[in-house]
Amino acid sequence: MNTHSSPKGLTGSNKLDITITLLLIAAAIALPFFIDSRYVLGQIVLALFYATIASQWNQLFGFAGVFSLAQMAIFAFGGYATAMICFYFGWNVWGALVPAALGSVAFSLVVGLACLRLTGVYVALLTLAIAQTMYLLIVTDTECFVMVGSTCRQFTGGAVGFARFGDFGTRALFKAQWLVGNYAIVAVLFAITMAFTYAIVKSPMGLAFRALKDNPGYAVARGVNRFQAQLLVFGISAFFTGLAGGVYAAHFQAIGPGILSMSQLMFIIAITVVGGVGTFWGPLVGTIVLVAADEVMREAGEFRTLGLGIIIAVSIVLMPKGLVGRLGDLVGWLRRRHASPARGKLAESPALVGE
Amino acid sequence: MLDILMSVLVAGLTTGALYALATVGLSLVWGSMGMLNMAHAAMLTLGGYAAFTATTTLGLPVFAGFAAAILFGAMAGGLLYVLIVRNLLKNDKATFESNVMIATVGIGIALENTILLTYGGQPLKQPLSVDGILKLGPLNLPYQNIVIILVVVVMMAVIALLLGKTRMGRAIRATAQNRDAAQLMGVAVNRVYFQVLVLSGSLAGICGVMVSSMTQLSPPLGNDPMLKAFIMCVVAGLGNLPGAVAAAFGLALLEAFIQYVAGARWGFPSLLFVVIAVLIWRPSGLFGRTQIRRM
Repeated sequence: MNTHSSPKGLTGSNKLDITITLLLIAAAIALPFFIDSRYVLGQIVLALFYATIASQWNQLFGFAGVFSLAQMAIFAFGGYATAMICFYFGWNVWGALVPAALGSVAFSLVVGLACLRLTGVYVALLTLAIAQTMYLLIVTDTECFVMVGSTCRQFTGGAVGFARFGDFGTRALFKAQWLVGNYAIVAVLFAITMAFTYAIVKSPMGLAFRALKDNPGYAVARGVNRFQAQLLVFGISAFFTGLAGGVYAAHFQAIGPGILSMSQLMFIIAITVVGGVGTFWGPLVGTIVLVAADEVMREAGEFRTLGLGIIIAVSIVLMPKGLVGRLGDLVGWLRRRHASPARGKLAESPALVGE
Repeated sequence: MLDILMSVLVAGLTTGALYALATVGLSLVWGSMGMLNMAHAAMLTLGGYAAFTATTTLGLPVFAGFAAAILFGAMAGGLLYVLIVRNLLKNDKATFESNVMIATVGIGIALENTILLTYGGQPLKQPLSVDGILKLGPLNLPYQNIVIILVVVVMMAVIALLLGKTRMGRAIRATAQNRDAAQLMGVAVNRVYFQVLVLSGSLAGICGVMVSSMTQLSPPLGNDPMLKAFIMCVVAGLGNLPGAVAAAFGLALLEAFIQYVAGARWGFPSLLFVVIAVLIWRPSGLFGRTQIRRM
């Protein structure tokens, strides 16, 4: 994009963002009235969780350029913290959500501190090792912490995890329609997350993140504090990820080490990559496409994981900027064709016009 | 006391040898092309299963089992270059590092799942293993461990010769030192990339046979050695081959001792603490060159 059209393009994209947001809100409100199937609504709730996590991973990787593989570990930390607070102290789920999210922030800051001096793949490897350690320590935990009835419970819940520690109270309130209540809670969480992410991405802080990603040396020379910016992005993305983890645990009334598995992390990465790394709407588009593809592949049963792996590899090769990026290319191309029909005859080769 | 110490030492050396083989394959690819191959684990598993099929299903001799593992590993490496890496190199150079990581993650999942669908999830016994124990005074040396250490030493020597003495090795080292300069001097960089991936794939194949002969064949076989190999690469500094071998043996011995002293559960977490401590002290590894980047 050249410098001339950029201010105009910005307002144009703002208008587009507002239109999309209004349409999405309308769709989100209308959705429960049109869907009777409990299964479909359940899958939509799950998709909203994926979209929330992916949007935060996108903030970390797509905007700030930190390739962290600890995203599901932070999500699990939020979920586990919520479950453990409810389980050991008998708190209400609603009261435990924010402390658990703050705990995730603290955890993420520690991870961020460990990664502070590292770049690129070193960050990826260290965060992967941290996530794997967390998984191993939980799964191999066999020491008795408390006795529940006649069975022994480990501090971290061991390989089984936690269950039945409380819920949102939607079952008591809405009776048979409880899933709609949970859907509303998760949808609001997603909306708040997206609104906050939008504000950050468009703020000077977001610009600093992007500057550090694009050219660290230049950004630091222009006075961007790398230390502060990296810790901030780790902390902010962890708050919503941890919050989503708590809501996830409360929605399913269970949390186990399974969500730390590699395939869950891959699904989040796949969503972001297919949708478009570093684009605001990318994670949402990716979630819709991949959850739909997942449902189709459900018919194929055991080929689901295989298909997922191939989708990740093919989409990064064919469209490095994801679906949203490709759509942007298409719109730009159409606009250029439209804007200069007369000049188009003169400059036959599109490469000359575009670049 | 002494015999316990000795058995811990033997176990540490054997796993160290395995990790060294896995680490060298990874480090070679990173050093010469700046690519982190997340599919290395699946290539390891592929090698183990290829040897299994050649010797059990087809009834070929042991030697052919090894050859099959090398062949399939090399083929996987070659295909990875042709299908993925070549196409990603055409894009923006700045995004190559993360894009290739994501793409190989996808390939790794797909390959592991293909193996799962073909062979099923139940663990199989690797036929390429040796039974029996060599008794040397207080020392009990299982033949399997001796074979593994010998194979690894031979492989290391082959790699060192290949890199040090041959024309191909010189080209690989030149590309690793400075890709642009090598290209300007007439090194066919793309061919070097292809060769490196094939070489690393065949190393992964052998490593897979060795790892599965210690335990059992299962689709997630490669993941655990791979994660540890990652850690060792990072501790040594990515791309540094002698450093990677030293780190592999050192950390494997440390892991074996900690597992003996504090229980198996703490082996991996202690490695993690070591790596964090090393990285805080030296962000590009113990033996890694501190890179000066020009803007």
